[in-house]
Amino acid sequence: MKLIKDFVRQFDANISLDESLIVKKENRYFLINKKLKKLITKDFFYVGIYLGKTRNGKFFPSFNLLSMIAEKEANKINVDKKTVWLFICGRDIFKQGIIKVMGSKRKGDHTLILNQHRECLGFGRILHNLDEERGGAAVKNISDVGDFLRREK
Amino acid sequence: MSGKEFFVSRYEEMGWKYENVKPKQALRINTINTKEDDIIKRLKSLGIKLEKISFLQNGYRVCKSEFSVGATSEYLLGLYSIQEAAAQIPATLFTELKDKTVLDACAAPGGKTVQLADLMQNTGAIIALDVKRQRLTALSNQLERCRAKNTIVYHMDARQASRLKIKFDRILLDVPCSGNFVTDEHWFSRRTVKDVERNAKLQREVLTEAAKVLKDDEEIVYSTCSLEPEENELNIEWAIKNLNLQVEKIDCYGEKASTNIFGKQLDSSIENCRRIWPGQTQGFFVCKLKKRADAP
Repeated sequence: MKLIKDFVRQFDANISLDESLIVKKENRYFLINKKLKKLITKDFFYVGIYLGKTRNGKFFPSFNLLSMIAEKEANKINVDKKTVWLFICGRDIFKQGIIKVMGSKRKGDHTLILNQHRECLGFGRILHNLDEERGGAAVKNISDVGDFLRREK
Repeated sequence: MSGKEFFVSRYEEMGWKYENVKPKQALRINTINTKEDDIIKRLKSLGIKLEKISFLQNGYRVCKSEFSVGATSEYLLGLYSIQEAAAQIPATLFTELKDKTVLDACAAPGGKTVQLADLMQNTGAIIALDVKRQRLTALSNQLERCRAKNTIVYHMDARQASRLKIKFDRILLDVPCSGNFVTDEHWFSRRTVKDVERNAKLQREVLTEAAKVLKDDEEIVYSTCSLEPEENELNIEWAIKNLNLQVEKIDCYGEKASTNIFGKQLDSSIENCRRIWPGQTQGFFVCKLKKRADAP
């Protein structure tokens, strides 16, 4: 579970997951509860809360995991309505679309992207110190919920 | 035995005059993720005009939208699902779902599975099966998007459900069926009575397995989006006679099903099933069955 914890730490956050309730299927990780644990057999395809998957040693989080992190103290950015739309279309975030920054403003840090209702839309990497007055993209889009639509194609 | 004329004459014999209808798109609020009033306000602010569906608790018709309601951030966050109005009925017919062990035997693409999770408020467990592996990805995406937490998905034919060695409190049988002309514009040129009979046989096999894995005195909800009596009233008549199941009264949208199909008199309890002719919704059939305690 180290790779999940390491991933969460990139947001300066901490979540506690009961390791006995995390199950792995091929390269995918799921969090289950005691009821599901009693019922599950090893040939399942999907179970409980999908946490994410690994590919080439790298962890790719699910949106459920990102939402779990967003409930905690973590690096987060609230963005405006127009930026929400652009972000879920896969675009990077410009400074003028940022309403509020919580946690790190440092270049290179990971941050969750939230709408005005504090719902997590995905995450990105800060491209330059957010205190600096600079043009261009401020946060690089790494993953956004628009992926649900792109997966169907 | 095929073609539009043939099928339409059967519908007329069952008391419905054919009309080509195009029901409005419908959506269902996922109440585990949002409050109904909040999401309705949010969708209105996006310029989406909605109308409450009188016979559904959380269902709305989309009257006007400048863009696809399947591309909003609210949809992607699982605050609502796009689900045809009649298709929203079956999951609501179970009595008490909280903490139950539920089988969704033919689950993909998962619209009704996430509705069950919503009605169960993520308690208990849903075992969701589908025979087509490629459809499991769509099912998994629905579960992730709607933040369902109580589901186990297996790649499995519903006719093998007893391999799970679980006895279920509730079983949803939204069985594979012939469909209807509302959702398939080429339906009349594609379908023959032979197809219908082949589907009806498969449905009886699924019903047989479901009856095996259902606890005594517990419930099956059976539904199809077919208008053909072989897949509906006649299959339920067969289940009553062969599987020791009884039809329960339900209170939902639709007409009482006919107890006389093409001159054949059926068990009087069949009238407790509901047949929904196309109009406000697509064509649909739904009923609730209970396993009698003296069943084998």
